[in-house]
Amino acid sequence: MNVLHEQFVTEARELVQQATDDLIAAEREGFSAERVDRVLRAFHTLKGSAGVVELPAMGLTLHAAEDLLGAIHAGRLGVTAAVIDQALACLDQVSQWVDDFEAGEALPPQAGEDASAMAARLRALLPENAARAPTIANPKAPIADAGLPDWISGLVEMQRAQISRLGDDHPAGLVAFSYEPHAGCFFDGGDPLGLVRQVPGLLALRVEAREPWPPLADMDPFACNLRLQGISAGSRAELAGLFRLVPDQVRFLDVALQALRPPPVAADDAGAAHLVRAVLEEQRQMLRVSNQSEDLIGRIGAAGRVAANALRHGRQAGLAEEIGEGRAAALAQADPTPLLAALDGALLELESGTPAPVGEDTSIGDDAGVRRGEARAADRSLRVHESKIDALINLAGELIVVKNGFAHLAKRVESEAGGRELARAVRLEHDAIERLTGEMHSAILQLRMVPIGQVFRPFPRTVRDISQRLGKKVALVTQGETTEADKTIVDRLFEPLLHLVRNALDHGIESPEQRHAAGKPAAGTITLRAARASDRLVVEVGDDGRGIDPAIVRRKAHERGLLGSDELAALSDEQAIDLIFSAGFSTTVEVSDISGRGIGMDVVRAAVEQIGGRVTLTSRVDVGTTVRLDLPMNIAMSRIMVVEAAGQVFGIAMDAVRETVRLAPDRITQIKQNEGFVLRDRIVPICSLAELMNLPALAPAPAAPESGERLLIVTEMGGKIMALAVDAIRDRLEVVLKPMQGLLAGARGYAGTTLLGDGRVLLVLDLKEILP
Amino acid sequence: VSVRRHDNGTILLEGDCPVEDAEPLLRLLQATPVAPLDWSTCHRLHSAVMQVILAARPEQVGDCGDPWVRRWLSSS
Repeated sequence: MNVLHEQFVTEARELVQQATDDLIAAEREGFSAERVDRVLRAFHTLKGSAGVVELPAMGLTLHAAEDLLGAIHAGRLGVTAAVIDQALACLDQVSQWVDDFEAGEALPPQAGEDASAMAARLRALLPENAARAPTIANPKAPIADAGLPDWISGLVEMQRAQISRLGDDHPAGLVAFSYEPHAGCFFDGGDPLGLVRQVPGLLALRVEAREPWPPLADMDPFACNLRLQGISAGSRAELAGLFRLVPDQVRFLDVALQALRPPPVAADDAGAAHLVRAVLEEQRQMLRVSNQSEDLIGRIGAAGRVAANALRHGRQAGLAEEIGEGRAAALAQADPTPLLAALDGALLELESGTPAPVGEDTSIGDDAGVRRGEARAADRSLRVHESKIDALINLAGELIVVKNGFAHLAKRVESEAGGRELARAVRLEHDAIERLTGEMHSAILQLRMVPIGQVFRPFPRTVRDISQRLGKKVALVTQGETTEADKTIVDRLFEPLLHLVRNALDHGIESPEQRHAAGKPAAGTITLRAARASDRLVVEVGDDGRGIDPAIVRRKAHERGLLGSDELAALSDEQAIDLIFSAGFSTTVEVSDISGRGIGMDVVRAAVEQIGGRVTLTSRVDVGTTVRLDLPMNIAMSRIMVVEAAGQVFGIAMDAVRETVRLAPDRITQIKQNEGFVLRDRIVPICSLAELMNLPALAPAPAAPESGERLLIVTEMGGKIMALAVDAIRDRLEVVLKPMQGLLAGARGYAGTTLLGDGRVLLVLDLKEILP
Repeated sequence: VSVRRHDNGTILLEGDCPVEDAEPLLRLLQATPVAPLDWSTCHRLHSAVMQVILAARPEQVGDCGDPWVRRWLSSS
């Protein structure tokens, strides 16, 4: 995928997201002039980019959406749920196409058909079309005798004998097509005849001049002035597939076989005016595409001539004259600007003269260009691929390791004779390097920091769609969007948050009637809040719904056999509520398609713990529930504790360590095979790290206190407290943890490795895997 | 180039006539608008070439060698 395409994909996604945000906000708060302007601009820019990467189907759909928003902008159309729905559906479609384009550099074959259908649905909402919406909504219906346009009856006339012979072989009827290739299509390697050659079951064909042929002396051989019309016995889908690259230049009409003797229909004046505008815009676009000199003159000549002809055809001789002058000037200067100006002028003129819905197009286009420029200047950000930053982080990490080596070196130098002075010098240098690497590392980590708002963005849409489906009224409040955290954290937050929000919508917020009965406002509120708490990121999902009843949780836990009734009775209400995080627990029995997809809160907890976070939940019956995610700001650096057991050293993530205690032997009680002790009224089981790691028990190390005191590390994982017996605690380090690689990639029980100052590899344990 | 003028003044289209042939063909027709066109040995015509023929409507010598064009476009 080339740079242009990549940029298109990124930009298109941003624009789709921005337009979605604005549409949702518009539905809630109404369309201010500024907001509709912004949405319109987003659609307009999208259409423009689709043109640049040559996705005509996308352009076609977006053009229709633009018309619809233009009508809102002009005050000709009110904002209804139907309008917003359709505009959002259009964005969904575009988003799907962008995905397709990213995957295969092309749109699927049926894109042209989809685009036309979507455009028709969008246009049907326009006030001027509302009356005839039913016919437009079903464009595939074969047209009846009376509606058969001239050109089709002409074609039928040409091949009447052959067509009548078809008889009942084609009960589905025939498909007529009218293909008007762009004037510049030859420059793009297009061969319209070549395309039509492939039409399956061709029954009739007429190729004619779109505009009257100019005198031979003035003819531009490379400006396509053809109109190709025909009738095919093939299916509409086959034809759509064939013409998929030019959906904006081809029209299909189903023709019933009975429709063989139609009365002529008068030409449509409004349609002609539309066509003239379309032709002019086409020329404008063609001229803007690029400035490659070899074909520039040809394009100026062709565009000017086509535009002038179109205007004459539309009885706008005066404007045609102006275009002619612009063309002459452009040819003389070998610069399309004068012609472009004349085209812009003519389009403006046409717009003021015709009440056509496409009217807003030009003015907004120019406006948008200016404002986009301003916006670009304001947001001076740089797009850098994630991998480049990761490379920097790795380098900075290696530097830190080298720096740690200096400390070790200083120690060695010191122990040698007369090395004291040298050691001091080395230590000074070490301090300087330490400061610099530290600063560099945090500056690089800063590059990876992104605002949490990114992950909040899709939620207004999600909440809107789901609450509508559930028949609930819900407002979403987001706070602290600008809080920053590492990109990995922010990216991995989406799934858990989505699950929590779905849960809140489905189980938390009550129906409007229930809320009314409880004396609450009919509309529930879901709050997404992010904040920074020292070096942690706290994200909360709150709702003002029915809350979680600990009694119900106890009953469910009992039914599912999670705990015995004695154990359940011993739990505090808080501990009972915490049971909803247990695997296999779901408070709603029936599986709904909204939150009950077989994923429970246990998955949320697992996902959050994977990125070094913790989940807690507080809930009050009838008041609401708040789930709090306590997360690290970044995961690139981890704080570990180095411990020793049976002569080996291991790292333990500090996140899991609650405290360390030294315990006299008499405080340890034997419970069956296991040991345990009481810490602040809780019984904490003890495990020996050496045993867990299957290390041979050594004779008590000489360093071990003779009193028989035990050194314990109290850990907390997933709400479970355990004490780990070790022989010694060495250091606390901040390290860059590297995942296990190569042969060891599959080894369980390790979170990763890091290099110690003396060059040894330290294995960092994954306590969750190791602890029983 | 698959377009040329025969010694007898007839314009000849031969073999595969790609888009580039449109311009020389037009120039020949502009120079001698009454010259007949022999396209009986042309077996494939590009739209741009066909367009010049449609616009100039030269007198035709023989049938087009491109069967598809002969079937669908000779009469138009």
